[in-house]
Amino acid sequence: MASIAQKRGTKPTGFRRLLSPDLKTREVIAAYIFLSPFLIFFTIFFIRATIASVGYSFLDWRLLRPSPPYIGLENYAELFNDHIWWDSVWHTFYFAIMTVLGTTIVGLAAALAVTRPVRGAGFMRVFLYIPQILSAGAMGLIWNWLLSGQFGVINYVLSFVGIRPVNWLGDPNLVIPALSLATIWWTFGFPMLIFIAGLQGIPGHLYEAAKIDGANGWQAFRYITLPLLRPTILFIMVTGVIAHFQVFGQPYLISGGGPGRSSWTAVIYLYNQAWVAFRMGYGAAVAMTIAIIMAVITAFQFLVISRRVEY
Amino acid sequence: MFKRSSIALTAILVVVLMVMMSFALTVQAQDGGDTPPTETPSVVGAGGTQITFWNGLTGSDGVTLIEMLNGFAEDNPDIQVIVEMIAWGPLYQKLQTAFVAGTYPDVFMLHASEVPQYASYGVLRDLTDQYTSGGGWLPNDDISAITMSGMMWGDGPEIWGIPLDNHGRGLWINEDMFEAAGISTDPDSAPTTYEGWVELFQKLTLDANGNNALSPDFDPENVVQWGYTVGEWPNVNFIGALYQHGGSFLSDDGLTVTVNSEAGITALQQTVDLVYKYHVSPPSAGFDTWQAFGAGTVAVLPTGTWYRNQSLLQTDIHSRAWRNVQWGPHPATWIGIHTWMVPAGLEDPEKLDAIFRMIEWVSNNQVLWAASGQVPARLSAQAALDPENYPSNILLGQSFSEYGVQDPKTTVTQEILGYLDAELQNALNGLKDPETALNDAAELMQEALDRSQM
Amino acid sequence: MSLGKISLPNYLGTYIFLIAIGILVLFPLSIAVSQSFMTNQEVNRWPPKIIPTEPTIESYRALFTQQDIRLDLWLRNSLIATIGHTAAVLVICTPAAYAFARLQFPGNKILFSLLLVTIMIPGQVTLIPNYMLMRDLKWLDSYNALIFPGAANVFGVFLLRQFFMQVPRELEEAAVLDGCGYLGRFWHVILPLSTNAVTALGIFVFLGHFNDLFWPIIVTSTLATRTLPVGLSIMQSSYAGQYRPMILAGAVVSTLPVLIVYIIFQRRIIQGVTLTGMGGR
Repeated sequence: MASIAQKRGTKPTGFRRLLSPDLKTREVIAAYIFLSPFLIFFTIFFIRATIASVGYSFLDWRLLRPSPPYIGLENYAELFNDHIWWDSVWHTFYFAIMTVLGTTIVGLAAALAVTRPVRGAGFMRVFLYIPQILSAGAMGLIWNWLLSGQFGVINYVLSFVGIRPVNWLGDPNLVIPALSLATIWWTFGFPMLIFIAGLQGIPGHLYEAAKIDGANGWQAFRYITLPLLRPTILFIMVTGVIAHFQVFGQPYLISGGGPGRSSWTAVIYLYNQAWVAFRMGYGAAVAMTIAIIMAVITAFQFLVISRRVEY
Repeated sequence: MFKRSSIALTAILVVVLMVMMSFALTVQAQDGGDTPPTETPSVVGAGGTQITFWNGLTGSDGVTLIEMLNGFAEDNPDIQVIVEMIAWGPLYQKLQTAFVAGTYPDVFMLHASEVPQYASYGVLRDLTDQYTSGGGWLPNDDISAITMSGMMWGDGPEIWGIPLDNHGRGLWINEDMFEAAGISTDPDSAPTTYEGWVELFQKLTLDANGNNALSPDFDPENVVQWGYTVGEWPNVNFIGALYQHGGSFLSDDGLTVTVNSEAGITALQQTVDLVYKYHVSPPSAGFDTWQAFGAGTVAVLPTGTWYRNQSLLQTDIHSRAWRNVQWGPHPATWIGIHTWMVPAGLEDPEKLDAIFRMIEWVSNNQVLWAASGQVPARLSAQAALDPENYPSNILLGQSFSEYGVQDPKTTVTQEILGYLDAELQNALNGLKDPETALNDAAELMQEALDRSQM
Repeated sequence: MSLGKISLPNYLGTYIFLIAIGILVLFPLSIAVSQSFMTNQEVNRWPPKIIPTEPTIESYRALFTQQDIRLDLWLRNSLIATIGHTAAVLVICTPAAYAFARLQFPGNKILFSLLLVTIMIPGQVTLIPNYMLMRDLKWLDSYNALIFPGAANVFGVFLLRQFFMQVPRELEEAAVLDGCGYLGRFWHVILPLSTNAVTALGIFVFLGHFNDLFWPIIVTSTLATRTLPVGLSIMQSSYAGQYRPMILAGAVVSTLPVLIVYIIFQRRIIQGVTLTGMGGR
């Protein structure tokens, strides 16, 4: 491309340039043509809608109230002072961190196992992804039942090893871990898939060299697999945090946000303000704030992990 | 790096996109209004006048309603009813967005507790003219005073709805367990004091060794049969107990939340004590009350009229209905009312005529509605119920007409009930003491109420 | 990863791990399937029954005969909406990804990073404005409302861009010598080399969209457009607590189409993911 850039100087000037485009301009035109369907749809359904929502966030808009008044940043001020909001954010962090770590570890372990030359690994690769294809409704139906304190099959199984019934959904200290557990079961398939791809990208000769140097399996994992998988781990964690920070279906369907508000997450809070209390303006402010928090977390992740990649 | 032509192109593109956006925004500002064309098999009848009817009736309610509408369509071949039945939660969302967008249905059904909210938005049609007092067909004196009060709101007060039923809190008891414990199953023998109820629950709560909760050897860690359960709809249980102790949800002027009164704290403390002091009920969370009753691990299930058909399905559990518990001096129990409402914006006389014919037909045939388990709203229909088939509807229906208590009349009822529910759960699961929980709830509820007054 | 032989203890350890995780994945699924063959009473037993004593297909029969449950229509609508949406995503995102991957235009990097940032905005933000737009376009209760919003899929552009960037430039340069324009290069060089990646994206989009619930509830109101998850959620609320086996049967039936699509295309998903280089580099 550098050679093209050096050709400047012979170009026609002014409006004629648009009529007789040189190579560079043609590329730009082509790019916009390629981009235009996407940009059109993105503008209509996303940008326009988001800007409208930003506008809403400055209004005291109860859904059906005629002509909602402009109240500036009051929605944001109220949100900032609401301890229920901060509790919900904390639950969300707690859930997201636990779930992201869980899916990453389980996904990596599963990927390591199914990429080994054992019989049935190919089948397991396909099989282990299946929970991921369930709808939130189906998953909620299953786990609501499994986690039930009195009738839960999990408690029934635990009773065989002499563990007393655990009130998974009734104990505020257990409800988030329980939801996280259910979510790990539901979603570890995607990280597994990505890790499989990542592992296949590691050249085999590295391991052979390590073997010749007398490295054991753990050392090979620690000094070859893990460092080479860092970008993969970064990808999994970033996309995982983005997905799990928006958690809604699991607490909504399995614990109903309870006990009390112990499993209220940021989006449950948003849902309740926007779709139960119908405070659309306030809800829009909540959505904006969630977006900002997520942007900060993601930037932070990039900073921390990319620094560690360099060492 | 880039040439000016490229920058010019980019500028053109940005302008085009902005024009598109402003176009989309203007389109938004215009008024749509037309309901979308529908070609759908989810219809009742085949007549030329189409009316759309949204409701959130669930379970046996929905089945019964469709049967009734089929009857209506047979009598009125010129009308076609397009019924939209979805869960209450999504229905509220759908309805509110539809009102904003102008795509609302021709008639819909909500609860009486939502009358103030929708009436205050100005989206409801004043239905006073449907009642005899306004020259209409529905006799005012065929509706109980309690039910009637739920239909009204505003200065008139105007009447905004037409009631379909009373549904509310009652108990279902496991007769075999009562007999095993030597307790009469006759509803008239029910205790009328908290102490009396506690003793009844204690006799019905058994540990793994067969000791009941009155026995000194009772092992609260190993309960296999619970006397009671506090888990189903805590705010419904609480509202009943609150009024039994002479408390109220709001002050008389409707401006102050009073759930954290002495009466409220007593009511909640008594409920919490059933779990942590007397060990006759499990904590609320993670406990499926219907399933527990169906599995024979709960003797007394506080639920509602809607449990009737489930109890008929559950053939291996012998059960019957009782009136709600009574802990304070004044009997009280929560009721809700499924209510027909008509949007203010609907002006097509043909449709209006069809809608009111439908409502009138269903109202005049309300006896059929008892099959859903609920209690017909009209007193004449209640009196016409067959005692063989509908003992629970009759027993509970009388209690509703006598001392039913409804959700508070505010424009933010859904929201404040949400706050109350969360704090009640906190108390019932031992996370907060009743007084703190109710104070916290009252604070949040008061804030929401104040916002609604602004 | 080395695909050579591994030692016996290693082999056994791997096996034990795979069996353990396999059981953990299988158990919840099998309970749900098993309960769908129970009677309503048997489901409410303690201790819980894992295997039905007298398996019955009553729930499935009810599912297909109950008047208010129209699995056939729901499934048809879901398939039309999901396939339409998937096609729209692919048609819209593939050329855009090519532009981001290979073409130089002002703001390429900035625009792309901005797109990535938008992934973090929760979907609820756009709900009300888009609902109003659907009304104004007269798209409420039509397939269009289920197909086009969200068709500009940022994740899709990201995934395909990653893949296109790895296609050797030499291949494109050869095509230029043959006189291919940008469209020709895209069509004759890039796309044929990317079928796996495009298919993988298609499957992800299909699986995700098929299970979507919130938006379809808001924009559909008749059987003519209502999708399977919406229908099921209505059924769940109508029959919850009363007919758990039937609801589970509904969940099983609704999962089958997705499962079939997944099994047919699973090989391509894994290849596609591998090739997009999401896994590394």
